[in-house]
Amino acid sequence: MFNLFRPKKSGDGPRRLWLDLGDLGDLVNPAGPHEQWQDHGLGLLRTLLHQNGLTTDLASTRACKSWDEVRKVVSGYDMLIMNVRSYTFPVAYRSAKIFKEVNPKGLVLTGGMHATVAIDEMMAIPEFDKICQGPGEEVIVDLVRDPDSFPRMILGRGSKSMADWPMIDRTLWPKPASRQLARKFKWPLEPECGWGPGPVVTLLTSRVCPWQCVFCNENSYIPNMGRRPVEMVIDELNYLDRKYGVGSLVIHDSMFFQNPTWLQEWLEKYPRQANKVWPYWAAARADTVRQWPELFEALVKETRWDTVSIGFESGSDRVLKILNKECTEEDNYFTIDLMTRIGDEMEREGRKPPVFWSNIMLGIPGETRDDAFKTMRMVKYTKRIMPSIAFYAPYPGSALGHQLIAEGRSLMSKENYHRYPDDEKVKGIDYKFYRELLAGKFDAEVSKGLAQVRQERQNYMGALTKA
Amino acid sequence: MYLFDMKNGKKKLVYGQSPEDALEILSYRLPPEEMEQIIKDKYIKIHQRQLQEHVHLLG
Ligand code: SF4
Repeated sequence: MFNLFRPKKSGDGPRRLWLDLGDLGDLVNPAGPHEQWQDHGLGLLRTLLHQNGLTTDLASTRACKSWDEVRKVVSGYDMLIMNVRSYTFPVAYRSAKIFKEVNPKGLVLTGGMHATVAIDEMMAIPEFDKICQGPGEEVIVDLVRDPDSFPRMILGRGSKSMADWPMIDRTLWPKPASRQLARKFKWPLEPECGWGPGPVVTLLTSRVCPWQCVFCNENSYIPNMGRRPVEMVIDELNYLDRKYGVGSLVIHDSMFFQNPTWLQEWLEKYPRQANKVWPYWAAARADTVRQWPELFEALVKETRWDTVSIGFESGSDRVLKILNKECTEEDNYFTIDLMTRIGDEMEREGRKPPVFWSNIMLGIPGETRDDAFKTMRMVKYTKRIMPSIAFYAPYPGSALGHQLIAEGRSLMSKENYHRYPDDEKVKGIDYKFYRELLAGKFDAEVSKGLAQVRQERQNYMGALTKA
Repeated sequence: MYLFDMKNGKKKLVYGQSPEDALEILSYRLPPEEMEQIIKDKYIKIHQRQLQEHVHLLG
């Protein structure tokens, strides 16, 4: 069997295992490309540990096909370390139980976003011996070196700036766990996912998004920190290119299109100092695009921001307000129109036009059928779009998630944090209607207003000057 | 963000430009009987960073 995760001895000291989390089999025979993406928290923290002489072995639930396999890979260790996110919480919970069964004296160290947003759920798991809430980069070394000197719940400390982070040693990430996947994966870079040529470099240039969308709201938990300097980002890319050959980038920032000074510097330096102007995927908001349309256009055209991820979420002002998105229907349409014009111009010049990777949400409590039709109409109106449609999920940690859980409306449970777009997540939502909507049953209603929207938006230069 | 007192002793988290705006946004998703539970002139304003301190009071 092709198993790259057979644990090795980690020297004379305690045997420590870092367990990468995800659905079973995702690194063997994944359902899609995104399941193969690597965990930057794991990458950063393991790099710090290894630079400080605290080696850890690595296993991944994604590389196992059964829980029996997980049982085998975690056995014989003194310490288990896991970075837990909301969607990996059930896997972490089960892995910790198994770890304690096979290593009754072993210690389980956890941290990560779920510890930060849902500490009560983490504290309720007796198998989690230590739980680090908040960013862990300034405490991980001391914690792993001497866990007994810490209380059960530890308040993490982050760096002031991402400039203080070391470059992630990507070889500390798990490898693909089947021959078939290894051929496509190009480890330690990442596989192509349809947004740009492989090998793909996923990276972070900024950490916190300052907005307060009530389904997300990460700013409530992670203190603001300085953005990674432009030159550091480019140097890392050039290094990875020399070593492995880069095909394209996925800039994982929650919000790339913020902080115009940084973006201006990126615009000036990336096309000149990078080994190659690699195309990339990165996120923006419709209101910031409307605020700085010229900067947006220059970035798309000159830095090959080929896939613009926008969380439009909804095409209805009512729903955008429920979500506290602070964007309006007009912001969304402005951004769509601007991208259409940029794309058309680039196409006329014989260049590849940019596309939207567009997050769309349906099934939001309070959304009417008309709101949902407006959203689907906006999707139909958009010329070059890769829609990513999901049903709203009340994650703990988000403001609306907390409120809906308190009202007893959430259908999510700790055994099964839903992470699939079509799972039912909130009581009282007519999911049958939404499934039929997505299957095209209401296309007539969706299309009905489309001609009028097109008519109204013909004079879009007017909208540009208004912004 | 605002935390409104409710007649049942719990708190409701709402958000908007003003308390009135926040209540209107809340009314988009809650039926009138549930809106009735909210004491409209008893609220405090909170920053999103303080949200976690109040989660256990929500209802
Ligand atoms: S949804 Fe996007 S814009 Fe809103 S808070 Fe989250 S990252 Fe920021």
